Amino acid sequence: MSEFEPTAAELARANEELREQLEEAHELIHAIRTGAVDALAVQSAEGPRIFTLQGADQSYRTLIEQMNEGALLLAEDATVLYCNASLADLLRCPLAEVMGRSFDEFVPPGFKQIWAALMLKGWAGKSRGELPLRTQTGVLLPFSVSMNVLEFNETPVLAVIVTDLSAQREITAIRAQVAEQNALLDRKNEELKREEAARLAGERAAAEASRVLEGIPQIAWTANPQGFNTYLNRRWFDYIGRENAVGSDQGWDAHLHPDDRPASGQRWRECLASGEPYEVEYRFRNRAGDYRWMLGRALPSRNTQGEIIQWIGTCTDIHEQKLALERIDQAQQQLRDNNEQLTRANVDLDNFIYTASHDLRAPISNIEGLLDALLLELPAATTQSEEVHPLLDLMQDSVNRFKRTIEHLTEVSRLQKEHGGLAVPVDLAAVVHDVRLDLEPVIQSTEARLDVDVQATTVLFLEKNLRSVVFNLLSNALKYRAPNRSPHVRLRTWTEAGGVVLEVSDNGLGLDAAYTDRLFGMFQRFHDHVEGSGIGLYMVKKMVENAGGRIAVKSTLGVGSVFSVYFTNQ
Amino acid sequence: MQKLACVLLVDDDSTTNYLNQLLLKRLNVAEQILVAINGKEALDLLHVHCQTPFADCPVLILLDVKMPVMDGFAFLEAYEQLPAAQRQATTIVMLTTSLHPRDVERVEHLNIGGFFNKPLNREKVDEILKKHFGRQLPAE
Repeated sequence: MSEFEPTAAELARANEELREQLEEAHELIHAIRTGAVDALAVQSAEGPRIFTLQGADQSYRTLIEQMNEGALLLAEDATVLYCNASLADLLRCPLAEVMGRSFDEFVPPGFKQIWAALMLKGWAGKSRGELPLRTQTGVLLPFSVSMNVLEFNETPVLAVIVTDLSAQREITAIRAQVAEQNALLDRKNEELKREEAARLAGERAAAEASRVLEGIPQIAWTANPQGFNTYLNRRWFDYIGRENAVGSDQGWDAHLHPDDRPASGQRWRECLASGEPYEVEYRFRNRAGDYRWMLGRALPSRNTQGEIIQWIGTCTDIHEQKLALERIDQAQQQLRDNNEQLTRANVDLDNFIYTASHDLRAPISNIEGLLDALLLELPAATTQSEEVHPLLDLMQDSVNRFKRTIEHLTEVSRLQKEHGGLAVPVDLAAVVHDVRLDLEPVIQSTEARLDVDVQATTVLFLEKNLRSVVFNLLSNALKYRAPNRSPHVRLRTWTEAGGVVLEVSDNGLGLDAAYTDRLFGMFQRFHDHVEGSGIGLYMVKKMVENAGGRIAVKSTLGVGSVFSVYFTNQ
Repeated sequence: MQKLACVLLVDDDSTTNYLNQLLLKRLNVAEQILVAINGKEALDLLHVHCQTPFADCPVLILLDVKMPVMDGFAFLEAYEQLPAAQRQATTIVMLTTSLHPRDVERVEHLNIGGFFNKPLNREKVDEILKKHFGRQLPAE
């Protein structure tokens, strides 16, 4: 510049040009800053270069400014070169602060990858996608973005249209809600229809049931599947004393006995849950205020799908039966008590007999011993004297009788103990034969005729007891003979209904029928002129019964007696 | 016949004791007769008479079953506890009126010389002498 010196006018002109340029630049920057003029700020190696949008058609720009969508141009590094006011609005950010900023800052951290992918595809040609953007206020809003590569001032830029989806989302949500409401309404309608059908079916069933139930002689009722009473027949209202009432009675349980409520209620709930038949005994108060026992029964009634549509029940008056049963129970209890008492009494009696026989034995043997000692001490002349001799004989007799009685008591006591003893098959004919031999002297002396006809072979018995039975019966027949005729005794046996019968008949004294019951009692004697202990027939009966058999007697006073022993073979 | 040195009668019935004493004296079978009215007294007598070897320790005890204070069974239990040497020289025979099968069974299981039903008589004494002492009564 030193070789060429410009003139003052040239300098002034150059100065003027530079000033104009400067002013222009100032105005441009101002305009860009205020958003009045669009510009491009392009980062280049020499620093930011600002391009105005001189080349863009004004009418398009106006159009873009009036769009609801956001529009922007991105440099390769995602710097916002340009954006419209709508975008600034959408991002809640002043326009001036959007431009020149990296758009990355508006992408939320979780969506960087999606954004990067969209960008990559966009730079390759075009791309489209949805993602949320973070506004300046921090709120995330849904957007759809659509990208295109453009040539702008010989620099490739990415043109991006950003559409706010929130409104759309809202509409979608509302639609979904509406759809859902509609579906719900449809379902409700369906349900109402079904309920109506069920109600009608239930009513039909109930009406049908009540027509039937009105005619039956018990109290009858129906209940819905929830367990509430829907109908009670006239019998119920008659029972509680409410004239001319029909239909259901929700207050029916006021008549139920308070003590029966918990159990019957519990069972009812169980049956409602399980569908099992209901059966319960409970008391209801009638019109007179008295509680009567009822048998309550109910069965579920089901539709064709197997669902319970109602319960049909009856209450049957079982008051008398129930009381009768209670009386029977009481009577049985009484019987059990009595039995126990009798068993105790028997045991006591048994012990008494044993103790008596035992305790009497010692003193009587002492008396006998003392009598013997006395006899040894007395001079023979005294003992043989007319005065003393009978006394001593009578004393000895009494002692012997006493001892015999004790022996009998002991026998009885032994019999009690041997109850259920081991029975074996015994040859009856052999026993009869032996006893006959033993009695031969008596038979001879009484000139008796004894006919024996033994058919049966064996009976189940203790052998010594069987001998005792036969001996007692035969010797009694001879002992109680009639004084005016010689004794004729017949012994026969036969088998009857699976058991052996032994019969001994005589033509002896016989007995009045009134006494035959007492014949088998202990220490019963009916003929005082005949020696006897009164224990024989008691023992016979006891032995026969202990062996599971029985004995019977038929007797006619002055004609004779027939004793029949029925043996058992079990 | 050589007499038994000492016989102990144990019975709560004084008449029985009197008669048995009379019988033994008449049969002339014992040098000494001791009497106790229950098992407890019998044990006390044994304690006194069996201290020194064994001059007047009873060689035969006739024992009743039913007695107050200590009955025959309880006496036998206590007797089993005495030193064996003391028991060796003594025979115990039970006299009973009890025919209760339970008592009979119980007596049969006892470790004793035997048992007899009351009353005691010449035949029973003779049997005891033969069985346990190898002697017998002279003929009447």
